[in-house]
Formats: sequence, structure tokens, C-alpha cells
Amino acid sequence: MRALALLACLALAAPAAAQFNINLNRLLDVGKNVKQATADTDEQEEIAIGSDMAARLLGAAPLVADAALQQYVNNVGRWLASQTERPGLPWRFGVLDAPQLNAFATPGGCIFVTRGLVARLQNEAELAGVLAHEIAHVLKKHHLKAMQKSAQLELANTVVGTFTRGNDGANRREKLLAAGSELFARGLDKDDELEADRLGVVIAARGGYDAYGLPAVLQTLQAMNPADSGLALMFKTHPAPAERLDALAKMQPTLDAYADLPQLAQRFTGAVRR
Amino acid sequence: MRRLAALLLLAPVLGFADPATAVRATELRQAPASDAAVVAPLAENAKVEALERKGGWTRVRAAGGAEGWVRMLGLRYAGAGEARQGDTGIAQLLNVARTGTSGTQVTTGVRGLDTEQLTHAKPNAAELKKLQGYAASGEAAARFAAGGRLKARKVDYPKAGG
Repeated sequence: MRALALLACLALAAPAAAQFNINLNRLLDVGKNVKQATADTDEQEEIAIGSDMAARLLGAAPLVADAALQQYVNNVGRWLASQTERPGLPWRFGVLDAPQLNAFATPGGCIFVTRGLVARLQNEAELAGVLAHEIAHVLKKHHLKAMQKSAQLELANTVVGTFTRGNDGANRREKLLAAGSELFARGLDKDDELEADRLGVVIAARGGYDAYGLPAVLQTLQAMNPADSGLALMFKTHPAPAERLDALAKMQPTLDAYADLPQLAQRFTGAVRR
Repeated sequence: MRRLAALLLLAPVLGFADPATAVRATELRQAPASDAAVVAPLAENAKVEALERKGGWTRVRAAGGAEGWVRMLGLRYAGAGEARQGDTGIAQLLNVARTGTSGTQVTTGVRGLDTEQLTHAKPNAAELKKLQGYAASGEAAARFAAGGRLKARKVDYPKAGG
């Protein structure tokens, strides 16, 4: 909203301020509506927006056609989600048929991992670590908050530009979705990613998994050629694996108490490598 | 899953007997625990080979041949500068083109999850329906966890920046 306030100040200071008075009032009203609407984005809308975003992701890459694999990933993910403060969301997990290495979350509980990333994992604890990181994004509404921020700016700019644009719910929804598509290509803030790592290792430990699954995946990524084209988008949208590992190494208390738990390599291999 | 299996055959399994570097000076220990006996000191930036991981510890072989356990988070694998060569083969499969002066990579011809595909994807309602069909109930997931002898534990979230 700061940009909007600034623009309002500029408009007031302009010599032609009088002719702007009516429009300015409207602009400020619109600003209020956006703020109000933001606060009112309740869980149902969160889920609806997330489903739309998931449908778009699935338009870029469909699910791997392997029902047993998809059900396996849903069991791991749903078990982890049950250990969190939002167990009642309609959690959905899917393996996308894409060679790149990546994972995605959409608001309301749709979570995806690519078959390229699954192929690099060694055991179920590592899969749990990846899914738990994405679950944390949903719990903290990282995407939703970033989209709202971006949609507000966009909306404010549009209003200032034309003085004609309305602010009905459909328009706002459309703006949010556009912001969502962009977000997958641009990435979240670094702090959101590091927070999802910290919460992710804890959620995996709550599920009874070896808590070092996610760090092990980060080390695998770090050991790969950074110029590998399959990593391009993930590396563009996330802090470097070394930085994420450094941040986890500083986490207090450490997860040593939850390090000797099951990794379930055999069950993972059976589900993934048939 | 056949395609995934094929990818696995192509991709060397990463992880073990991998060259790594110690981030800070530490000790090689006889067992994966901070109170285990010290086998040998390990200098900062020492090159080691990572052999296996157990929880938060990795067994390594130092340049002099000594073997022992170090904290896994104290290791960095070959990163920028001494990066591994090679590619998962995706670049060769894609028709990669550079556009204009922006230098932005645009990939065409293969569907996937790069910037372009993500930005221009159209919603796929049929796949969304499939996604919903694969969902597990909380009860089913709990049975699945019991099958793997996973036990839920109470663990607090860490403090921010902690």
C-alpha cells in the first residue's frame, strides 16, 4: 500500500490537484477495498485459488501416469500434513511428468514434485523432506501473501493509470492468478524458502522420519553440475543449496535427536523404481 | 514409470564416494556421535570422500586414508569452480534457443516446467481431477505410516533465524 500512498501524495502536490479530487477519492476507496478484501481471503478462497494454480501447473506438465506411485506420494505427504496445524486442508500430492528437478506448492494444499527430482532421491525420508518443505509454504501462506502483494501493486497501478477500473471480486481473482503464474517462474523471497527448510525438517521429524532427509537432498543438488539445465529454474527461484545447508546447520536446537529414525529406502525404491 | 526407470539408468546415482570439502576444522570420529572417540583431526577445506550417511553424520575418507564420521552439515560437495561436468541430458533433448539481446533462454518443443511453459500454461482440468482422485485420507496415511513403523513425535518449530 506504500506505493499507493506515495502516488496519492504526488497527486495532491500536483498543480492540477483540484481536477484529481474526485478520482483521488475513488482511488483511496479502491485502496481500502483491496485491503479489506485481502483480510477476507478466507480458507475457501485460498483453496479455490490454489486449485486454479494447480490446474495451470498441470497444463505445463501432466501427472506421471502411474497410479501406485501417485498414491504412494499422497500417503507420505498426507501423513506429514496430519502432523501440522492445518490437518484439515484438502491436501493433494502429485508427481509431475517433467524431467526438470523441482517441487511446487499452491495455496490450500496442492503439492507437486517432478519425476526428475524423484529420480534423484534415495529414500522415503528424502521424499518426506521435500514434501515437508512444500507443506511449510502452504502452512505459512507464502505464495498467497506474495501474490496478494503483487496483485495489490498491479491493481493500484492500473487504477492510477486509467481511473476507470473497477474492483469487483472477479477482477481481483484474475489479478491474483496472474501473480500466481508469475510467482512460479520468479520464486518466493529468500526468507520464505529458508523458513520452509526449517519447518520442513521439523515436520519430517514429527512424522517419525530421519530429519536429515531434506539436508541430504540439498547435498545431492549441491553435488550436481550447477549448469545442469534441469536445475535452472530451481536454482533461479531458490537460494543456493550451500546457503540453505549453512542456514540449517545454524538451526537451534539441532535435529540430532531425530536423526536416527527410519529412512525407508526399500519402500521408496519399491514404489518408485518398478 | 518406465520413463522414470530409464532416467535412473542414465543418471549416475549421486551420493556416495563423492568428493567433498570440510567447511570448517573438525574431527573424524569413530562412530556417528559427538561423544565418540576422535580418530584424527580434519582441517578446514580438507578434501574428503563421502562414503555413507547415518542420520546427521557422514562417514568420510580423508586424503591420508583415515576414515571416520563428521557432521553431514559440515560437508560441501563439489560446488561452483570444481563442478562436476555433465548434464542430466535435458539440454540435448530440448530445442534451446536464445532470444534477442536479453539472453533469456527459451525452450521449445518439449513440455516441461521451465519459465516459459509455466507462464504460458493453460489450465488442465482433467489432470486436476486425476490429482484429486489420488488423494489419501488421514486414516489411510496413518495405516501407511504404521506399515513403515513411523511414529508421530512432538517436535516444536525452531525460532525464526535460530
